Amino acid sequence: MSRFLFPRWSNAFLPLVILLGAIAPLYVGLFVAYGFSPKTLEAGYMPTQPVSYSHAIHAGKLGIDCRYCHTSVEKASFAAVPATQTCMNCHTQIHRESPLLEKVRSSYETGMPIEWIKVHKLADYAYFNHSAHVVRGVGCVECHGRVDQMTVVYRVAPLSMGWCLECHRNPTNRIRPPSMVTQMAWDQNKEMTEAQRVELQNLNNIHPNDNCSTCHR
Amino acid sequence: MPRIFIFVGLILLLCLLLPPAIIARVRSTPNSNLPIHIIQDMAFQSKYKTQAVNPLFADHNTMRPPVINAVARGETYLDAHLYDGVIDGQWANVLPSQIKMDFATLRRGQERFNIYCSVCHGISGGGNGIVNQRAMELVANTNGPVNGTVWVQAKNLVHDELVTVQPMGQLFNTITYGIRNMAGYGSQIPTEDRWAIAAYVKALQRSQNALPSDVPAGTKVSGNAGPTPTHVQLSNATVNSFTNPATSIAEVK
Repeated sequence: MSRFLFPRWSNAFLPLVILLGAIAPLYVGLFVAYGFSPKTLEAGYMPTQPVSYSHAIHAGKLGIDCRYCHTSVEKASFAAVPATQTCMNCHTQIHRESPLLEKVRSSYETGMPIEWIKVHKLADYAYFNHSAHVVRGVGCVECHGRVDQMTVVYRVAPLSMGWCLECHRNPTNRIRPPSMVTQMAWDQNKEMTEAQRVELQNLNNIHPNDNCSTCHR
Repeated sequence: MPRIFIFVGLILLLCLLLPPAIIARVRSTPNSNLPIHIIQDMAFQSKYKTQAVNPLFADHNTMRPPVINAVARGETYLDAHLYDGVIDGQWANVLPSQIKMDFATLRRGQERFNIYCSVCHGISGGGNGIVNQRAMELVANTNGPVNGTVWVQAKNLVHDELVTVQPMGQLFNTITYGIRNMAGYGSQIPTEDRWAIAAYVKALQRSQNALPSDVPAGTKVSGNAGPTPTHVQLSNATVNSFTNPATSIAEVK
């Protein structure tokens, strides 16, 4: 019985196998780091809402302040999704027969709330407080992106713990004068100098905590 | 080496490019797929959070409205001045004692006015806010009003006599309960803020009807006010004229 001999050309595989062996951990590492990061898995969530409400028209084109609808944002932990009444402040008159507003009208008549889909859902063990951030001058745009340009709202930020901590550990470039929080086009990094931002941080005494218990109770 | 090995090898290498391409696409395009939460821990607990849907109740609301006729502490609504703007059956022309007439209140009023009122009534109170403009545009559409839009020009708060003669309490009442086509803002704006807005509207009326004699002697005033202001300046003089409510209302009228 003749012994099996690898053909001579199979020698070329040896460097190839070594090369692949060296690259493979790097490849797998990068795949896990990028593929499994919250930015990939969680950001970019854009559900289809029951009513095709456009922030781009209301907040962008018309320039209605965020707080006209999200009234509780400066006082409560949550930025309230408005009552149907708020829609009907205007829509009893404007576009009052529009088929797009059918669900709003029926909600107004029956008292059944419109079941909007939550886009920015945090893990249940994290306790975020809108008022604490808004009152101290963290602009809406820092976490929600340019909502005033979104026809359909989607999640810009990963809302992961690492992402929260990034700002909690270095807030200087992410805070603005509290009077500008809802101005989405306004950018503190363009309108203010580095020195001014540091001054603002000291003035408003912004030294965010990064203890576990700050967010996890 | 047989060709097939090279061929398969190259295909396998190309396949390695596929996962990064998919990841890059997922990261760059928003879509309606639910976020994937790999390590669940206690991320989704069986509890109901603010404004959550709750199938246990007929209206699917987790947050329950108060029982009918229930009265919350401190919300008896017996103070007609504070809650309705009325003193002894007459419109109040002063702020209720709970709210101080000062610069802070007027500033607050200005900010709240710009959020809630200016959309229709305009930043300067002239009645040409952005929603008003949009509605007029829809009504004036050449093929008839769009989607049955009806609109009555928003009131000019600073020049229309119907409004300028109104005492502060009446303004407050209108903000709270609405009037004609305007919805009430009682549920959207807290009581203190509604009073602050009413006071600010008075200040706006005063400033929009200012006379040359109001300008302190020696102050230079440029000829043209320019385009519609996007931000109305509150001066100390305006505020001071309101710090004594007894005289200020008469002055404003």
